[in-house]
Amino acid sequence: MAVAEAAQRIPHPLPAPWWRGKSGAAVLVVVAMLIAFLGWRNQGHWPAALTWNSVGPHLDRFQTWLSDNRNVPDPNLAFRAFNGLANFLDHLVAWSTRFFHWLTWAGTVVLGTLLVLRFGGRRAALGVLAAFASFAALGLWEESVETFSLMLAAVSLSLLVGVPLGVLAGRSSRFNRAVTPVLDAMQIIPAFAYLMPVVILFSVGPGAAVVTTMIYAVPPAIRITALGIRGVHPNTVEAATALGSTRWQVLTKVQLPLARRMLLLSVNQTILFALSMVVIAGLIGGQGLGDSVTNGLYTDPAMAIFAGAAIVIMAISLDRATEAMANRTDPAHRHLTADRSRQLRTYTAACAAAVGLTVVLGHVLNAGADWSRWTAQDWLRQYVQRGLDYVQNPSTFLFRDLTNPTGNFIVQHGIQPLRSFFIETPWPVTLIGLVLIAFLLSGLRPALIALVMLFVVGFVGEWTNAMDTFSQVLVATVLTVIVGFVLGVWAAENRYVSRALRPINDVLQTLPQLVYIIPFIYLMPVSGVPGIVASVLYAAPVMIRLVQRGIEGVSPETVEAATAYGATRLQVLLKVKIPLARDAIMLGVNQAIIMVLAVVVIGGLVGSGALGYEVAQGLQRNAFGLGVVASIAILALGITLDRVTQGRVRARTQA
Amino acid sequence: MKDRVRGRWMAVAAAGVAIAAAAVMVVGTAGAGTKASCGSVTLNEQAWAGSTANTYVAKAALEKYLGCKVNITQIAEIPVYQALANGKTDAVLEDWQHVDQYKQYIDKQKTVVFGGPNGVVGHIGWFIPAYLMKEHPEFKTWKGLKGKETLFKSPESGSQGMFLGGDPSYVQKDQQLIKALGLNFKFVSVGAEPAQVARWSQLYKQHKPVIFYWYTPQYLNQEFQLAEVQLPPRFKGCVDDAKAGGDVKKYRCAYDKTIIEKVFSKKFASSGNPAFAAMKRFSWSNADQETVAKWIAGDHMKPDKAGQKWVSQNAAKVKKWFGK
Repeated sequence: MAVAEAAQRIPHPLPAPWWRGKSGAAVLVVVAMLIAFLGWRNQGHWPAALTWNSVGPHLDRFQTWLSDNRNVPDPNLAFRAFNGLANFLDHLVAWSTRFFHWLTWAGTVVLGTLLVLRFGGRRAALGVLAAFASFAALGLWEESVETFSLMLAAVSLSLLVGVPLGVLAGRSSRFNRAVTPVLDAMQIIPAFAYLMPVVILFSVGPGAAVVTTMIYAVPPAIRITALGIRGVHPNTVEAATALGSTRWQVLTKVQLPLARRMLLLSVNQTILFALSMVVIAGLIGGQGLGDSVTNGLYTDPAMAIFAGAAIVIMAISLDRATEAMANRTDPAHRHLTADRSRQLRTYTAACAAAVGLTVVLGHVLNAGADWSRWTAQDWLRQYVQRGLDYVQNPSTFLFRDLTNPTGNFIVQHGIQPLRSFFIETPWPVTLIGLVLIAFLLSGLRPALIALVMLFVVGFVGEWTNAMDTFSQVLVATVLTVIVGFVLGVWAAENRYVSRALRPINDVLQTLPQLVYIIPFIYLMPVSGVPGIVASVLYAAPVMIRLVQRGIEGVSPETVEAATAYGATRLQVLLKVKIPLARDAIMLGVNQAIIMVLAVVVIGGLVGSGALGYEVAQGLQRNAFGLGVVASIAILALGITLDRVTQGRVRARTQA
Repeated sequence: MKDRVRGRWMAVAAAGVAIAAAAVMVVGTAGAGTKASCGSVTLNEQAWAGSTANTYVAKAALEKYLGCKVNITQIAEIPVYQALANGKTDAVLEDWQHVDQYKQYIDKQKTVVFGGPNGVVGHIGWFIPAYLMKEHPEFKTWKGLKGKETLFKSPESGSQGMFLGGDPSYVQKDQQLIKALGLNFKFVSVGAEPAQVARWSQLYKQHKPVIFYWYTPQYLNQEFQLAEVQLPPRFKGCVDDAKAGGDVKKYRCAYDKTIIEKVFSKKFASSGNPAFAAMKRFSWSNADQETVAKWIAGDHMKPDKAGQKWVSQNAAKVKKWFGK
């Protein structure tokens, strides 16, 4: 049997030309769709009989009911429980803000710096000190402390929830299967859609902001922890069991310590994901830097840029500090003699004393909680404003001859034709065509999922909008894949490029999209383009990282073997490394799609229209139902694209 | 041995940091004290400049005349109703007629109360740059637009003219108006207000034609010369927004003047706080609001400073709010 299978796997000696294979069939499907588009343009709209129009109104009524029952003088037990939870979270954040106030600004700086110095080393401590200095220089000290308190609460609670669930998912594949779609939904459904129910249940304030942040930050904690636990070699677990360890002992003495690196990565990613919610948290009382970004966008773009910079600085310094602390305290690399650990204890005591002394001095000298005397804000503003003035000036060479025509060209020859192709082709043709392509690319199961999901999209009455968004997501994904692939390969081959790209990637992943979109709404003022730029900038870093890791992960022996046979560097890259890194590259494509979908709402705020616009409207114009329906459509598109791009890889890894 | 030396060095360094920090503190110290007789009041500020202006003027007035401690929250327009209902925020001083919320929170739940108009009268309409109005005086009314829509062509509007829609969160009915008036416009939304401003201001600076949803009072109206296209008050084919309580049969077309309301938390209203009476009397004009908004958004004055400046310059008006 095995022999027969192996025989089947031997490739055909002379591969058939591409047009006879699956790609040829896919091209055929596209051609058929094009013929249908040209022949029966605008003649097949999604029929009303197949639409369930009352989803939205039902949801609206539910929301009204929720609010009415929540705001009576004596709400029932369930609502009181939410109240209690909200109060607890509010207090948690308030307590931590008060703690920093009590420390005074000087105490906060010394505590932060010495803590990282003691456990993470000099480099990381300098980074933290520089971060504090820049919050002060930007004139955003108070806001940064507020945001930091919020993040502290949100991140620790996310880990408290996420790590145990992740361990569970790592040990039980059934639980893992059950929880994966929920996590997908939590990451794809835009926060705008559930902001209002969260506000009704938890009211506004830091508590509600923590809850919203957690919905987005818990999934990576669960996923990465589970990955770490599953990554522990089964032989090791078996050996421990054979030696008579209980399940609990296996977990605490073998699996968790061996998954240490992944656990720390999950802490790290949870921090970054949580920080990317700062702006949205600001809309419901999260305070801090999020408010500065939102207000800045309307009245003072320079301020939004400063607040965005503070968020990025906070994210990067936290990222580097946690990484350094994790490396330094790794028991595998630390051999403590009695003498050395005594020294470390003295060192800890000295640091604690220094912090205590600073706090006492801070109070004696009345330092205050907020650094407010000197800031470099006005000085920095001149430069930022000069940049903004340049960008806002339509008579510059950059705008007149470069960005404006490019933007218009993309709209007229890229986005508009593609959009009308997807919207105006009769719906059965589009539906069947997409499902067939899914089948050809990934197989039967993904194709069936695509069929069901696309039907859901039409059923909730979002076919046209979803096709509009789909066309833009397609353009953004193709651009992301091209950019990400090229830069990822380059970074893997050249360490200077790799070193230069890392901070850029970090900035793009943590800077609020609404901030880096500011120049583009002036430079390419045409609807759709800023949204696509935002998606590409947000999604490309992930693609770059995964491609780079995939190519670097190709075993050196294979490369050596190929070189020994006389392959040139280019040949090794094209014929060995890239084909062997295919799974990682496909995962990159898949993640790129998910990230592109995650910024659909941001696109809605800068003119991409369609589903993103509806979700934004859902929150802002009290159309809760509409927002949820549009989010369901986004989720359905996300699941379709995920399964279609991931089908092959999954089939292979499971085999 | 080397390690011990290093440990000691670190301890010295740590103490050094503390002392350096203390030294900086002596110069960096800023003390602040507030007298409190009305306790604390929480006002909500919205993202746009006008709201910042009235919120900070109210803050400065309450601090000066009642010694209140004023907190400011920044919660989006719809979620803020839940904040008012729970008493997490006491007052919103600029509400653009959120009729659905009035019904739900004020009439039904009675958790929020009206605080009367804030004096500013909002006006929404279709605007074009003043230079364009000079070239085409026929654009004074909507009839002049007929047949000339293609003047407003843009990359995304195809063969039609582009009508630039407003922020998705604002009250609007332009798609319906375009259809009712039979104009050959394609409604294009470029998203939130900052993006819309970016779009029309770039065209304005190039002296190109553009027609868009806009409103007064708005501080940008002092920077850009805009002119309004008159819409018909009534026109067959226009339907009233029945949701807003209008009579569908009367074919009302142009946007109504919007009376800007103040809304308060029921808890705040029944707390007996003197700040409530003062905020209920709070009232100022469009010109006042635009002035302060310009200071803040145009001249980058700190909102607190702008509020204090206006309050001290307009003592007579402000004293009236406090019944003096």
